[in-house]
Amino acid sequence: MQLVVNSYGSYIRKSGECFVVKREDRCLEIAAKKISSILIATAAYITTDAIKLAIDNNIDIVFLDSKGDPYARIWHPKLGSTTLIRRRQLEIYGRPEALALVREWCARKLENQIEFLKRLKKSRSERNDELTRYIEEISSSLEEMRRLRGTVESRRQDILGLEGRASRAYFGAISLIMPEKYKFTGRSRDPARDEFNAMLNYGYGMLYSIVEKACIIAGLDPYAGFLHTDSYNKRSLVFDIIEMFRIHIDEPVVHMFTRRMVRDEFFEPVKQGVVLSREGRAALIDMINKALDETVEYRGRNVKIRNTIQMECHRIANHLIRGAVEESTDADDLNVIESGCDTCPVEGDDACLGDIRYIG
Amino acid sequence: MMLVWVIYDISDDRTRSRVAKICKNYGLYRVQKSAFLGDLNRNESDSLALECESVIEDTDSVYVFPMCEDCFDKIKLIGTGFDRELVSGMTVTKFF
Repeated sequence: MQLVVNSYGSYIRKSGECFVVKREDRCLEIAAKKISSILIATAAYITTDAIKLAIDNNIDIVFLDSKGDPYARIWHPKLGSTTLIRRRQLEIYGRPEALALVREWCARKLENQIEFLKRLKKSRSERNDELTRYIEEISSSLEEMRRLRGTVESRRQDILGLEGRASRAYFGAISLIMPEKYKFTGRSRDPARDEFNAMLNYGYGMLYSIVEKACIIAGLDPYAGFLHTDSYNKRSLVFDIIEMFRIHIDEPVVHMFTRRMVRDEFFEPVKQGVVLSREGRAALIDMINKALDETVEYRGRNVKIRNTIQMECHRIANHLIRGAVEESTDADDLNVIESGCDTCPVEGDDACLGDIRYIG
Repeated sequence: MMLVWVIYDISDDRTRSRVAKICKNYGLYRVQKSAFLGDLNRNESDSLALECESVIEDTDSVYVFPMCEDCFDKIKLIGTGFDRELVSGMTVTKFF
């Protein structure tokens, strides 16, 4: 389970193989074995012994700011896998295969949007025509995206344009089905101008940290992206990959609003915008964790959504290595490809390689 | 994974607290003063039993017994009960 520290001034220390979280007279003792990650969403203290216990048990500690953006994380100082993956990741940038990857990721995002709107449409016959129009708008962007050829460099503006067009239609459709009180006009960040955007931004913040962790474990360099350009400390690859997983946040957030689970106490006004309160954070994090723990069919087997993110990153890493191996004639390299990963739960699937370390 | 109960009767205070510590380290939850409950895999429950065995005296007793999920669902809680979801590992997010 995920431990979320959400009480201002909490103190986290180690006792045996357990974490002890304390604040005034409240105390929680919980075994490291039961925890997968620790999210610190408020001002808190943590001892170095507790950090050591977390790292020894492959638990990552993530610190979130008031908008939900992870501003720091504690993780072991290792690479996660072989450098060959990173080498290949940089090498393919200028080639058409990089565009093929980016096109696949962005197309997946649009497909997810279309499917979600179709599901929403089913139970809203009164909005049928308007929703259909929005869906068609995204579909035409999707078709155009699939036709793109060339290099990422030459097609960047086209992709971003199509993505933007689809996004406007998508959020237009979502605003349409929102309860009257929570209708919004477009996306806003830093600060969010309305309750919906505040929830969505916080959820995406959690997702960034999950995707970044998955990249590191799979051996991908989070800073070397394709569609998103290089910049100081910009996790471009995380921004690239996250697109296909955004739906896992969109869906629970929209449901919180449409199923009337949102209350006024969930929000606090800030200068020119809205942020989540302590209650709002707790409700949202719980909702998202439950959604990520749901099982879906993924490549012929039932997998928790949370794990599909990791498996997808392993697939990308594998794809990069496989390309490298096909060019070389070294038989030893080929053996690596054929042996499955014995530590990964995915038995005999090509999603895993013997030399990719699976942590967490 | 399976649900495991650990129940003990130990006379020495130090030995008793050592056994309690072992249970906590394995991620079991204290449901009564001398009763722990939680979900463990086969391996964990075996090594937990071995660790307990190495600290107790001949006159003490520790029971480690597994319980099937159907039986767990049939438990009746009277008075101060425990958090069913937490001990059975169903809790996805724990807030503090």
